[in-house]
Amino acid sequence: MSTVANEALGYVDALHNLARYLTGNETDAEDLVQETYARALRAEHQFTAGTNLKAWLFRILRNTFLSSYRRQRNNPTVGGLDTVDAYAQGPASETWLFDDLELDRLRKVVAEEIETALMTLSEEARTVILLDLEGLTEIEVAEVVNCPVGTVKSRLSRARAALRQKLKDYAR
Amino acid sequence: MNCEDVRVRLVDYQRGRLPAATHADVRAHLDGCADCTQAEAVEQELTSVLERRLPQHPASLALKRRLAAQWSPSPPVPPWWSRWQPAFAPAMAVAIVLVVGAPLLYYERTVSHERNEQAGMVAEAVNDHLRLLTSQHPLDIESGGIHQVKPWFEGRLDFAPMVPFEGDADFPLKGGAVGYFLDRKAAVLVYARRLHPISLLIFRAEGLAWPARGLTPVGGVDAYVGAERGFNVMMWRRGGLGYALVSDVDAGELKGLAVKLIGRS
Repeated sequence: MSTVANEALGYVDALHNLARYLTGNETDAEDLVQETYARALRAEHQFTAGTNLKAWLFRILRNTFLSSYRRQRNNPTVGGLDTVDAYAQGPASETWLFDDLELDRLRKVVAEEIETALMTLSEEARTVILLDLEGLTEIEVAEVVNCPVGTVKSRLSRARAALRQKLKDYAR
Repeated sequence: MNCEDVRVRLVDYQRGRLPAATHADVRAHLDGCADCTQAEAVEQELTSVLERRLPQHPASLALKRRLAAQWSPSPPVPPWWSRWQPAFAPAMAVAIVLVVGAPLLYYERTVSHERNEQAGMVAEAVNDHLRLLTSQHPLDIESGGIHQVKPWFEGRLDFAPMVPFEGDADFPLKGGAVGYFLDRKAAVLVYARRLHPISLLIFRAEGLAWPARGLTPVGGVDAYVGAERGFNVMMWRRGGLGYALVSDVDAGELKGLAVKLIGRS
């Protein structure tokens, strides 16, 4: 087994986690990860040694998801960032978003609520939040989602605002 | 730097991704702005909630084993002219070993591995069928029709089984029970063909080493069709659930029931 293969297999948990949050179910997530590794194996010669293998694998996974799964699913949670509640993105919401009450509510959020809230966000929003949690830099996230770094910055900010909005809705 | 400038940079600020001068500007603003300090605390708490409480979904051991078995790329093939080197004979020997050995190695690592896991699933399906046949009380719910059997499973399983076929004159539904398939609960439905019982096991499909080769198209899905200890077995998955059909009726009749089940699942 090559060095790249060895290293790539070390990222399977992180890839599966993103796949699970993209597809919403275990069976599709496993299929997506398997297909990702199959594609990566075929394209191994295209990988530039010394660059970020993890980000490269995430990009393949997301592209595979978009090309193979998005068309097959009639999933209302999969869409562009347009599906994120516009209310959470506007400056008008900022006044309540950052008050003591919200901080208190956040401290009481349980696992099921945060997972459910995340799954209501668009695919792009979920992806940038999860890649940020994985520790990818904005430059690496930009490579994964194929957009400028500045766009990643704004998408992450809007996605987190939308997530807070969802959590606030649950707390009502 | 005003509040709006600071708000859009809070995540970068917390991640240490800002240039030193910008970082200092944000810090200075936060020191004098209670609202933005509050906003920073909320962002920090959201990060903490995501890092500590968002459920993680690591890959199953079965998936890891499959990937490790499949990702065994062949070494690059040397250019053909390199064989006309003084080391012609050793090179040819290596080539022959590769030609003969690589398929064998591939077979050993992937096909035989898959077959072992696949055989384990088939054996489990047959064992479940045998347990049903030898049980004093094989059925927990005697069928009074699909409308009695289907609701009976509610609260007894950790998933909602799709009971796809209500039975007919050729394959009457006899009843149901709760069983286990490997490490998970399964809904067991028993149909009949003349005097032969047919077990249908329905279980969560994830994390199992489903056969990927030699599948047969049946009613719109790719199904495993095989035999074990005199029993015919069919297995397929659909919508996150796995289905295993086992009986001593002949393969053609079992396929007939599978088509009815798949067509309505």
